[in-house]
Amino acid sequence: MQRRSRQERGAQVMVSKYSVVGQRHPRLDGRQKATGRSEFSDDVYLPGMLHGKIVRSSIPRGRIVNIDTSRAEQLPGVKAVITHKDTGGLMPGPDTVLLCDEMVNYFGDEVAAVAAVDEDTAAEAAELIKVEYEPMTPLFSMKEAMAEGVPPIHNYIEDNCADDISMAFGDVDKAFSESEHIRTDEYVIHPSHSSFAEHHVVVADYSLPEKLTVWTPVQSSAIIQMSLAQNFGLSSSNVRIMNLNTGGAFCGRGSERPHHYIAAILSRKTAKPVKIICTADEEFIIYRGGGKYNFTFKTGVMKDGRLKAIEADLLHDCGPYVETQFIMLRFTGFQLQMLYKVEASKFTGKLVYTNNPPYFFHHGAGLVAMRFAFGAQLDAIAKDLGIDPVEIRLKNAVDKGYTTLSEMHFASCGLKECIQKTVKKSGWKKKHGKLPPYRGIGIGCGVLRAGGKGMFDHDTSAVFIKIDEDGKVSLVTGLPDMGQGSHTAMAIIAAESLGITPEDIKVIAGDTDITPFDAGAISQRGTFTTGNAVKNACSDVKKQLGKTAATEMGVKPSELVFKDGKIFSKGKPEKAILFEDAVYNTLHSSEGRFVMGRGFYNPPTEGVSGGDYKGNPALAYSFGAQIAEVEVDPETGIVKLLNMTVAHDVGRAINPMAVEGQLDGQVFSGMGQTLFEECIMENGRVLNPSLLDYKLPRPFEVPGIEHIIVETNDPYGPFGAKEVGQGPIQCTSQAIANAVSNAIGHHIKELPITPERVLEAIRQKNKNQ
Amino acid sequence: MRLPRFEYVKASTTGEALAALQAGDGQTRILAGGTDLLVNMKYRIERPATVIGIRTIDELCSVTTGSDGSLHLGAGVTLSSLAENSLIKESCPGLGRAITAVGSKHIRNMGTIGGNACLNTRCWYYNQSQLWRDAREVCRKAGGNVCHAINGSERCHAINSSDTAPMLVALDAEMVIQNREGERRVLAREFYRNDGVRYNALEPEEMLSRIEIPRGNTERRTAFIKICSRRGLDFAMANIGAAVSVKAGRCSQVRIVIGAIASHPLILEKTAAVVEEGGLSEGGMEQAADTARTELGTLTNLFSSAGYKRQLAQVLVKRVLQELKGSSRNKRRAGK
Amino acid sequence: MKRMITLQVNGDTCEVAVEPWHTLLDVLRDQLRLTGTKKSCGIGTCGVCTVIMDGLAILSCLKLAIESQGHDITTIEGLGSADELDPVQQSFIEHGAIQCGFCTPGVIMSARALLDKNPQPSDEDVREALSGTFCRCTGHIKTIEAVKHAAEKQAGAGGTSDGQ
Repeated sequence: MQRRSRQERGAQVMVSKYSVVGQRHPRLDGRQKATGRSEFSDDVYLPGMLHGKIVRSSIPRGRIVNIDTSRAEQLPGVKAVITHKDTGGLMPGPDTVLLCDEMVNYFGDEVAAVAAVDEDTAAEAAELIKVEYEPMTPLFSMKEAMAEGVPPIHNYIEDNCADDISMAFGDVDKAFSESEHIRTDEYVIHPSHSSFAEHHVVVADYSLPEKLTVWTPVQSSAIIQMSLAQNFGLSSSNVRIMNLNTGGAFCGRGSERPHHYIAAILSRKTAKPVKIICTADEEFIIYRGGGKYNFTFKTGVMKDGRLKAIEADLLHDCGPYVETQFIMLRFTGFQLQMLYKVEASKFTGKLVYTNNPPYFFHHGAGLVAMRFAFGAQLDAIAKDLGIDPVEIRLKNAVDKGYTTLSEMHFASCGLKECIQKTVKKSGWKKKHGKLPPYRGIGIGCGVLRAGGKGMFDHDTSAVFIKIDEDGKVSLVTGLPDMGQGSHTAMAIIAAESLGITPEDIKVIAGDTDITPFDAGAISQRGTFTTGNAVKNACSDVKKQLGKTAATEMGVKPSELVFKDGKIFSKGKPEKAILFEDAVYNTLHSSEGRFVMGRGFYNPPTEGVSGGDYKGNPALAYSFGAQIAEVEVDPETGIVKLLNMTVAHDVGRAINPMAVEGQLDGQVFSGMGQTLFEECIMENGRVLNPSLLDYKLPRPFEVPGIEHIIVETNDPYGPFGAKEVGQGPIQCTSQAIANAVSNAIGHHIKELPITPERVLEAIRQKNKNQ
Repeated sequence: MRLPRFEYVKASTTGEALAALQAGDGQTRILAGGTDLLVNMKYRIERPATVIGIRTIDELCSVTTGSDGSLHLGAGVTLSSLAENSLIKESCPGLGRAITAVGSKHIRNMGTIGGNACLNTRCWYYNQSQLWRDAREVCRKAGGNVCHAINGSERCHAINSSDTAPMLVALDAEMVIQNREGERRVLAREFYRNDGVRYNALEPEEMLSRIEIPRGNTERRTAFIKICSRRGLDFAMANIGAAVSVKAGRCSQVRIVIGAIASHPLILEKTAAVVEEGGLSEGGMEQAADTARTELGTLTNLFSSAGYKRQLAQVLVKRVLQELKGSSRNKRRAGK
Repeated sequence: MKRMITLQVNGDTCEVAVEPWHTLLDVLRDQLRLTGTKKSCGIGTCGVCTVIMDGLAILSCLKLAIESQGHDITTIEGLGSADELDPVQQSFIEHGAIQCGFCTPGVIMSARALLDKNPQPSDEDVREALSGTFCRCTGHIKTIEAVKHAAEKQAGAGGTSDGQ
């Protein structure tokens, strides 16, 4: 009894090692958001502000013969009409012309734009612009686009191949030749859409030629600032990005879009601020959600389930403009050898230009599709070999200290712990293979890096801290909060570092005129990278305050502890000075020092360079496992997701409440991508471009969810933290799809698993029997 | 999305509304809850010059019982107030279910029974924004000569997705229509037409004022089931309304109506006959469901494949009969 | 032609000039600058523009301003008091039901309308009341929890005042 209670005490001591980190903390801006006071870009109303409207191509491919803007220009209230000739030949990307000059390449391509006194007038003016086209044969399928002799979409890329990579690690041929069982399967994942609640919106004020201010929701102010500056020939500090709040991003707001440039040009032309907001149909027309993935997976294993070699081929439709989709090919190639120990891996991938809408990637860094495909195949292999799906995963799972074939190194790894805990909590052993007909259970696992190099040569976040004389801290960061709770997490990290409470901290963000550089909320880097920058800035503060405190207490600065709102010497906690007094006394002394901290963090890794794709891009990697239980109605094909058991190795939960929120959101989104969400494409257009016909799940579809937070205390993370940004969703699709396959006894190879596809799978299964 | 310009006329009486309709030269629309019409106007599918507001016409907004015991539902009564109406709950649970199946809570707070009963038919190629539709030839429903849902078709195949329509047909409801001559009555089964363009019997200068549910239904068992991809804010992939009189184990006055898979609710007469003959035995129900599958005729691939629609119809017939078998009004009351 | 109309919003009487095609949402945001009510789909599918009219959750994007006269309208700005948040707002904050916050006002107003009518809602009732809203970030999981907690808390508080 006594021993047990000591253990419990021990556990408590472990937990209370930190005062603030690890506590459930409501978000700091909760009150603002709950009362409707939080401002989003569409809430910006500036004096004299005009409304812009974009005229879009009504055909998927063709030559522009004539644009007649005369009637629009004559409409009272119209202040500007622009076409390509007004853009100064601006090209936002190597394959993208701003406002089409000669060719339109997809249904919805930007052709012209107007600015008018109000939205109604702008919309009317846009309707009055008549564009004459000479239609050309559009290319909607990748097969058509890759056929010999077709006129290419961009005349300088003859084969319509936007990108093409081959990435191999280890001796692939040898590993396959040694394999005792080899399986090849093909998977199809249909397009899905980001559908953020806050539509694409921008307010641009370029009234004066030397300064452009842009209010817009973004994941990275830095990226859009640099792009706009470069393309308008402005110095980057003369482009001010105001990111008040971002109404969801889900991977879809990583960079600037044409409407940002168009609003700026309209504003320059009229010398008035211009707002452009996309309507519900435009959200689907301009797209930039997940595209169509065609995967072939060939995997070799030993009879005992050990993985030998994985070879995957991806053909991905990128629409007419590649933007940053090339990243996805690289991410996919790396992923093949990151989750399971494998002797060799090979990835070939191709991005194909078509006249479908410009795709991007949807929630999950473009990797959910790949994880679904491989996860489904791994279950099929397990079935072939008569091994439990959990066992085959445990047998091959990577560990702490593992270095992958491409030389990524895992300084912490909770993959096996995640698998074991989900298995236990979900009752897997009692359920797998023992459920009644049409009930199924499935597992999925994932890995993702926490930040890292690749987007830039560095992966830097910088942070300023100023402390007013009352001891209240202002933390200035360029990291956006799209809802994930990054600002609250940064306040918690600062509060823990300084021994104060998050309520003592005000996060100032979203204005590049004030905030220091931050690469942004991309690649799930916020907690790890900006978190470390916050810690560094706090160390700077502590040095400044430590000098005052140590002098007052007559101790060495190195002995000082910052905790519970006090500063005291390690050995003598009874003799303490209040944090706020130290701040006050630092300023109100003959030295008059004002406390200001600065810190930045750039993970000290070599990154991936050179043509062999080897190297370690990030310092920390997160891992997860999820188990889904489903019920299938064999008569209607409708799948009910009953519950999800979700474990994620976050390193350290800075704020468990926010971690749960991230897990919930990703399960929801993963469930959508797996069972519900599909943009049904026909001749380059989405047939179901609304939240009514694009079947996102709603409250009734939400499953029961068990959260398991695994903490592996990463040696490089701030207080051991890694990421929970898009890691969890890597597991969701696999888990649900495998559960459906398990329920109906047929290997599902296509997402989303709509009712009609379920019935078809059941028919196939019955035919095969 | 914003509304196009229009003039607004507020009508205080049915007479005023009818006068405004006539004055409008076919360019006038009645605005009830707005959850259908205003969406279509934002899409620029409909561009009426004048919109007539009828929300303050008292006679359209009441539920009463007729002298013959029939239930009179004012066309302007909101779906959510009807859902709470004890007369409906008790006498016609199937209709109550159909009403609560519509849209979302928000939609039901705004939308009216008249609006849902007259719900415009829908199609992937029609219920789209101007920009989207501009990319294609004008379809029949929009005044053109082609059908994008079925190439070469001589008619429009837009789907009637109303949840209340099949139930109203099953209940032998009567639609009371006002025009300048006065009032005319059309049975719900004749009100709906197998044509995506002229999907109901209302003429441009007429308005639906009331729906009457005959007294006989209080003696019948009624049921409604909707199958959709998600619960809440979704049109049915298929729905079914059914009514039956059960006396001493014998079924009579059987009505089985499938909705949301064609331009009008499909009345399954052969299937009903099978039930009248075979009753609600397991075998009888299976046989009825099989009959339904063959009775449906040609279906389109609009929104879902014809094969899937057929499958759902068969399943719905089986399930609705099982529900009718298990539920009698008295049982339901006892359960409350 | 613009017409003058009088709206009752959050207990205030507001006179505004509107066109017939202006929705209640347009007027709340563009004229009264009550921007707590957000604008998204505009076609009744997302619920972010939800306000309470005569006790019912409605979509202000599908309500003509001209037809909103004579009705009692409450927006997110009208909940709670200067000193105290509405229990639903409080619960959303405490239970992590807010992430990006864009849908939050609409979801809170939908929940408020539910609890006004049905102070002890079942799980089914809560999901039903929120089914016209849409929250990608939380996946509705913590919003559903938060509404249930608000109901419990409100019931507790109501119990006390009843006892007095």
